[in-house]
Amino acid sequence: MYYFVYWVSVAFTVAIFAAMAWFMWKYRRRPGVKAKPTGHATALEITWTFAPLILLVILFHEGFTGYVKGAVAPEDSLEIRVRGMQWNWEFEHRGGVIDDLNYLRVPVNTPVRLVMSSSDVLHSFFVPAFRVKRDVVPGMYSTLWFEATHETPDVTCEQDADCPEGLWCGNVPPGEMDRKCALPIFCTEYCGAPQGITASAFDEGGRNSNHSTMMGDLAVITTEEYDEFIEAGPPPPAACAGREDIAECWGEKIHQQYCVACHGVDGAQQQPAPNWKGLFGNQRQFTDGSSAEADENYIRTSILQPQSQIVQGYSNVNMPPFRFSDNQLDAIIAYMRSLNE
Amino acid sequence: MTAEAAPTPHSSATSHEGEGYLTHERGLKSWLFTLDHKRIGVMYLGSILAAFLLGGIMALLVRTELMFPGETMMEADTYNQVFTLHGAIMVFLFIIPSIPAALGNFFLPIMLGAKDVAFPRLNLGSFYIYMLGTVFTVVAILVGHVDTGWTFYTPYSARADTSVVWMTMGVFILGFSSILTGVNFIATVHKMRAPGLHWKRLPLFIWGIYATSIIQVLATPVLAITLLLLTLEKTLTIGIFDPALGGDPVLFQHFFWFYSHPAVYIMILPGMAVINEVIATFTNRKIFGYMFVAMSSISLALVGFLVWGHHMFTAGMSEYATMVFSALTFLVAIPSGVKVFNWVATLYQGSISFKSPMLYALGFIALFTIGGLTGLFLGILSVDIHLHDTYFVVAHFHYVMVGGTVFGFLSGIHYWWPKMTGKMYNETLARVAFTLVFIGFNVTFFSQFIMGSQGMPRRYYDYLDQFQPLHMASSGGAYILGLGFIVMLWMFVKSLMSGEKAPPNPWGSAGYEWMTSTPVHPHNFAEPPVMTRGPYDYHLCKEEELWDGFPEDFEKQKAEA
Repeated sequence: MYYFVYWVSVAFTVAIFAAMAWFMWKYRRRPGVKAKPTGHATALEITWTFAPLILLVILFHEGFTGYVKGAVAPEDSLEIRVRGMQWNWEFEHRGGVIDDLNYLRVPVNTPVRLVMSSSDVLHSFFVPAFRVKRDVVPGMYSTLWFEATHETPDVTCEQDADCPEGLWCGNVPPGEMDRKCALPIFCTEYCGAPQGITASAFDEGGRNSNHSTMMGDLAVITTEEYDEFIEAGPPPPAACAGREDIAECWGEKIHQQYCVACHGVDGAQQQPAPNWKGLFGNQRQFTDGSSAEADENYIRTSILQPQSQIVQGYSNVNMPPFRFSDNQLDAIIAYMRSLNE
Repeated sequence: MTAEAAPTPHSSATSHEGEGYLTHERGLKSWLFTLDHKRIGVMYLGSILAAFLLGGIMALLVRTELMFPGETMMEADTYNQVFTLHGAIMVFLFIIPSIPAALGNFFLPIMLGAKDVAFPRLNLGSFYIYMLGTVFTVVAILVGHVDTGWTFYTPYSARADTSVVWMTMGVFILGFSSILTGVNFIATVHKMRAPGLHWKRLPLFIWGIYATSIIQVLATPVLAITLLLLTLEKTLTIGIFDPALGGDPVLFQHFFWFYSHPAVYIMILPGMAVINEVIATFTNRKIFGYMFVAMSSISLALVGFLVWGHHMFTAGMSEYATMVFSALTFLVAIPSGVKVFNWVATLYQGSISFKSPMLYALGFIALFTIGGLTGLFLGILSVDIHLHDTYFVVAHFHYVMVGGTVFGFLSGIHYWWPKMTGKMYNETLARVAFTLVFIGFNVTFFSQFIMGSQGMPRRYYDYLDQFQPLHMASSGGAYILGLGFIVMLWMFVKSLMSGEKAPPNPWGSAGYEWMTSTPVHPHNFAEPPVMTRGPYDYHLCKEEELWDGFPEDFEKQKAEA
């Protein structure tokens, strides 16, 4: 479509310029030659008023058809939540897997539908490689979809020139990791800059600092790799990355986010749910009369199927089944064990 | 004008020698309290050129920063303010008032054969309202921190610094100047035409300004309301546009573009209007398809009201609204095409003289053609999704606004300079300036079309390395463009200081404004004129009327012959 309108425009431009140049030469002012008075040419006027209309109708129709195709996502699309904020992108995959900031991975040959929102001002999500763009508006959801047909090559880089055409040398990741080539995601709705702070191009820790650096890395990976990534669940929070007690730290964060409302960690007897301090390794008496040691398997089952084994004294169990990944469960167990020390 | 019925134009020039509008009264007070539309036009011209200079400096700062990725000479925050000021100054203080308020004020009554506009006091009032708005805007620039872009999109603008309130109040006030000028011109065109000047003889410049005035009167109040609501939201925290207060940010975009799209035609129609006059004069020929060209201005003004949504194809409108706006947008191409075809057809069988005003007019046709056709890309929905908010859009509207309106404005200034000042300018210097401006402009903005199609987003302080060569080219072009304007400024200053005295009709035009003396008589015509021919009827003109020298030389030459 782009090339069609491109050649139409080139043809018109050449025709108009050629006519101008020819007339400018042929009818340049010469002594003794007067201009001919302008006559009427109504037929000609009508022709060039209405003939272009046919072309315009074709252009409109083609453009609209393409637009509708882009506006309606296939039903089996993979959904990913996108949150825009000054000046970063956050991507949440199914199962609550929130990826590294400004990093979007999608499986190849799969329609992907993005459901986007903004927590502050207008942003606009733009991937030039897929020719998709949509404003991200506070107070409402907007969506777009695309299907990637090629995987992005796995190339480490130090500058954009190291990457194959169309890729950029992505954001600086947190920690000590190498930068990798990725498809660029731009923000194309102006969203400002911090006042009085020097905004450098590639900011530390994968965070961006103004409208023009509000860029994301888009990596197209195989379906298997994507499934593995979802299985593995979300990575540990950035606050814990690189620490020696990373698992305990992560478990504590999960506790603070999901569990603290019902489970204390100070060892006191409490309702509505058992305190975690001193719980691990303890003998548990259940309402059906049986008992068991609170080992790794017991904790895992209690989190994934809270109603299966109910401890005496806690008859009214409202705990929802949580869908944590193995890594998250390990972290919770590690945290519980650390409470006993 | 027949020889019997009307005053022979050039005899009035000699009989009122030294009584031009510039000199018949002297002193600052005679300017500040003048009711003469010509003096008001000149005062507008002065302030508009000052705004153009300021906006131009901002443009060069932007281009200098963008020569290299990362920080070149300023921080991101400063850059955001600079490009905001470039846009706001150029749009609100320069382009919108440029041709209508300066050239329109000066020439509209003369071309109607009238003594002044319909409401001279209101006209002076408009000027002072414009100055007041300018003061607000300049205060916002000096005191504050305006970094919202000229579009003031919410909720960013609703949360930004309070100087945004000053800026929007400034624009609010400027709007009233625009409305009052529009009302004045509409009344003047309807009521003040000289005897014999019926609608089919109306100069096409008047048709263009008339169409512009209609838009100014109908669309500007919407901007005023929008900016007022924005100000209320900011000062009283009423939730209108900011979702945090329960408002709708997309509503602001609808309101804003409901004015600002018609405003695009406030900008381009007067440019086209000037081009009509220049092409007719320098081909010695009536514009081909006169009535079609006149009506295309009116239809552009009307269709311009219906296409605001094409600024918002990616903003989150419904698919149906998007479809309707896309379809309507294509209609704009029809009257625009009609104009271009007719201008080119006017060249056919003409007698073309390539003086500097004509060079700008031909440049206008070329650049407007490119600007218009690239508009098709953006009207096509599927293509726009990719190009929206990229440098392609930036290049497109600069081709229309600068290649169109500014070239039209420059063409008009070169064309009417002798009539306004009574001085000629150095044609060689003017052509040098034109060459620099034309080349500089194309280098600056054609490279931006390429960048945009490759996905370079607009309003970026920093960019990927791959765009660096094109950004460099664009900045280089901007310097050539700037150099061209410096040469032009020097050329005009030189003309004012030591230019040759201009004859009443240096281009040998049949236009009505050239029938009066130079500099113009304080009452425009020594005796009220009666129009007995159209402004482009070269074949009906007597040799004397088209004489491009001084009237006394005409007699001499005739005697020799």
